[in-house]
Amino acid sequence: MENLDIDLTVFASAEEAWPYLQSNTPNLLILSIILPVKDGLSLLRELRQLPAHQETPVIIVSSKDYTQDRNVAKELGVLEFIPKPMSMQTITDVVVKYTQANLKSDNN
Amino acid sequence: MSKAQLRFWGVRGSYAAPFSSHLGVGGNTSCVEIRAGDHLLICDAGTGIIPLGNELVQQDKIREMLVILTHYHWDHVCGLPFFVPAFVPDWKINFFGPGANPGAIEEHVSAQMKAPYFPVGTETWLAETNYLSPKSDSFQYGPMKINFSNVHHPGITYGYKIEINGKTIIYASDNECMFIEKSIKNRSDEFSEEEHDLFREMIQEEHQSELNLFKDADILIHDAQYTSDDYDKKQGWGHSCYIDTINTAIHANVKELYLFHHDPNYDDASMEAIHKHSNKIIKEKGSSLVCHIAKEGTIIDI
Repeated sequence: MENLDIDLTVFASAEEAWPYLQSNTPNLLILSIILPVKDGLSLLRELRQLPAHQETPVIIVSSKDYTQDRNVAKELGVLEFIPKPMSMQTITDVVVKYTQANLKSDNN
Repeated sequence: MSKAQLRFWGVRGSYAAPFSSHLGVGGNTSCVEIRAGDHLLICDAGTGIIPLGNELVQQDKIREMLVILTHYHWDHVCGLPFFVPAFVPDWKINFFGPGANPGAIEEHVSAQMKAPYFPVGTETWLAETNYLSPKSDSFQYGPMKINFSNVHHPGITYGYKIEINGKTIIYASDNECMFIEKSIKNRSDEFSEEEHDLFREMIQEEHQSELNLFKDADILIHDAQYTSDDYDKKQGWGHSCYIDTINTAIHANVKELYLFHHDPNYDDASMEAIHKHSNKIIKEKGSSLVCHIAKEGTIIDI
């Protein structure tokens, strides 16, 4: 995603992301499912309880691709479920679709 | 250091297999007891917890336990409605498993004991119940340090690391190991060379998370539900082929591996063949890994 004009903030766990998400509403939240301690879907369930995050656009990018997890993601309003492995074009297209970001080369 | 023992009460996955052809290995679903002095830890509550409960009410030394659940699929909780200590006053049962808070864990544990599926609910349990909500991924129960991690299985599912008497035991009853490699292999044609290079990093990342849980374990109790033929038909069901389990255990430098969560379709002869093939693979790889078939009734000193 280096070729997109976006500010990317990365966290290694739900615990690390939580304080940031208390005071920030990103244009797009990209979540994995298997994380240390709290999984991504549980984090999202808690986020959805917060008024600021009821409508936050979320996509899942995960190697954990099971119907049960996809159903939970859908129930939590996830826009796209992208199973790993995915092509770079897939992830770029999805980010552009939901953030309207421009390719850096387009601006130069 | 107190004397500790581990005992397998249920070793099957999916559903109980009480067939005469299967009883050498055992027919009950997942349940493993770890007892350290007066501290009793029970991993999962499949049908194996029923005979364990019947034995517990025959003694008067222990009146409290911790039941840790990997997840709430039936084969891991279906023994609870018949677990006698829960229905006897002066017992205390602590529960832990996936769930955002104690109320969520209680809800998951109670859900199967409702009409029309069962005649009485958990409100008829006379034992004191307590649902744990640790602040981190690590907590202590008597002499046992317990750590949990998210693993590859449908829905939120935990694998547990239990440290006791200087030994590390891993209980990962349901985990589809090497999932990402299989996904990449299946869709190999879709991607460019450059993307395959990135996928190698992705595999490394996934392995690291599995290694964090399994590395240098003294005892690994791990999902090995399928032969390679059956895994080909059931890839993506959340269970491992025993060959992948062995390779993962070797990679993680595990000392003893107990193949677990056996498919209910596999009789004693099939399990013997799996064991024989497992030992052949280990020998060919020159590994010192010791591989066992988890069998109901087996007791291990820790």
